[in-house]
Amino acid sequence: MTALVAVEALVLVLLCVLVAGLLRSHATILRKLHELGAGLDDQPPRTGRARGERPASRPHPEVPSPGGRRASAPAHDVVGTSLDDEAVAVRVVGAPTDTLLVFLSSGCSTCGAYWEALADPGLTLPPATRMVVIVRDPQEEHPSLLGELAPSGVQVLHSTSAWDDYEVPGSPYVVLVDGEAGRLRGEGTAVTFDQVLSMLTRAGDDAARAARPMAEARAGLEARRGDKAAADAAREAAVDDELLAAGVQPGDPSLYRPVDEEVGG
Amino acid sequence: MRLAGHGLTIELPPGWEGTIGRRPADPGATTAAAGVGAPRVAPALPEEQLLPVAHLATFPLPADRGDFGSGAVDLMAAADVFVALVEYGPECANTPLFAPQPRLPQLKPGQFGAARLQRVQKGQAGAQTFCTVGGRAFCIYAVVGSAHRSAALSRQANAVLAATEVGLGDPPEPGESNPAGAPATP
Repeated sequence: MTALVAVEALVLVLLCVLVAGLLRSHATILRKLHELGAGLDDQPPRTGRARGERPASRPHPEVPSPGGRRASAPAHDVVGTSLDDEAVAVRVVGAPTDTLLVFLSSGCSTCGAYWEALADPGLTLPPATRMVVIVRDPQEEHPSLLGELAPSGVQVLHSTSAWDDYEVPGSPYVVLVDGEAGRLRGEGTAVTFDQVLSMLTRAGDDAARAARPMAEARAGLEARRGDKAAADAAREAAVDDELLAAGVQPGDPSLYRPVDEEVGG
Repeated sequence: MRLAGHGLTIELPPGWEGTIGRRPADPGATTAAAGVGAPRVAPALPEEQLLPVAHLATFPLPADRGDFGSGAVDLMAAADVFVALVEYGPECANTPLFAPQPRLPQLKPGQFGAARLQRVQKGQAGAQTFCTVGGRAFCIYAVVGSAHRSAALSRQANAVLAATEVGLGDPPEPGESNPAGAPATP
């Protein structure tokens, strides 16, 4: 009898260990899934979606650029309609400011944190930057819900064509456009708007830092150019620009190599 | 970039952006709900027809604007241009003030002046003209950022006016007896 009880106790202990191990493994899997962005979405979608509509996208930190797009890909102007059914055309390419395009939807639960962040009066954008929130066309969205979500003073446009132009993989997604260059400065997504803003701002700072030596070199060359005929000065400036663009800075050894060596290899 | 709505189609020249819309019947409702200040446009009168207004600019247009650009012209730089195309009711069409024209008329540099601004802004100049195109009565109001550069900047305004096609207006709203944009009776 004692032996039977002992065996039962042993089996019970083994079962407890097995269950604990299973629970631990389950928790690890869930944590990994959450880190990947799938999350435990216990918050139901704010509204149901009609059959055939695109599902609300999940956020993926460090989402790769769509289609392997380079960061300096050309930008596009945005044409759409406001929430008040006003036809709107926003100049993005060649604009005097940079433009932050925030692609959101009313149905994605992660977008909720973005809508709240955009409504924060303390929200600070990078200097000389205009922000436009872009949702899909009214037939693919929930206009009444958007009316509740859209913060005052923030421009919100329906434009599925902008989603297509910028190859937006899902919402939320943010694209920063260099207005004067008419090219993308950065793009991506994160769990919160602050994170993605910080990421894009840092990318802009890095680009500015990379451009600084060239600007300084150009200024130095300008200062040394002295008095010359306008045509000569223009020709020299054009040559300097080409050399700088090729990575040849003032004092570069290749500038002083004998011609024979260049030709002969 | 093509902007179209309410029977207007504008092929925006480079550097321009714009909007075409009708102001909401109660613009205070949205601003009050949002907890912001009073809107720049008044609520519609009970019998008032809400007709389209187009705003075209060479600078980013703010969300809160009056029909004649209040709230927007304050943000203009010296090299900027703002054009408002404001539709009036069909009872105005083909009257002496709103004389019929085949297309939207061009503005002459001499038409611009500080005294023609809705509200005087330092350095700016404004011009206003009226017309009927396609049976629809319009007021064209343009502002240039620098009165000294009216000649050059008026060319930009004229480029966007030349790129504007006027078609039929909106169909009548339920209960609306005199639709905007309906060809005026002689």
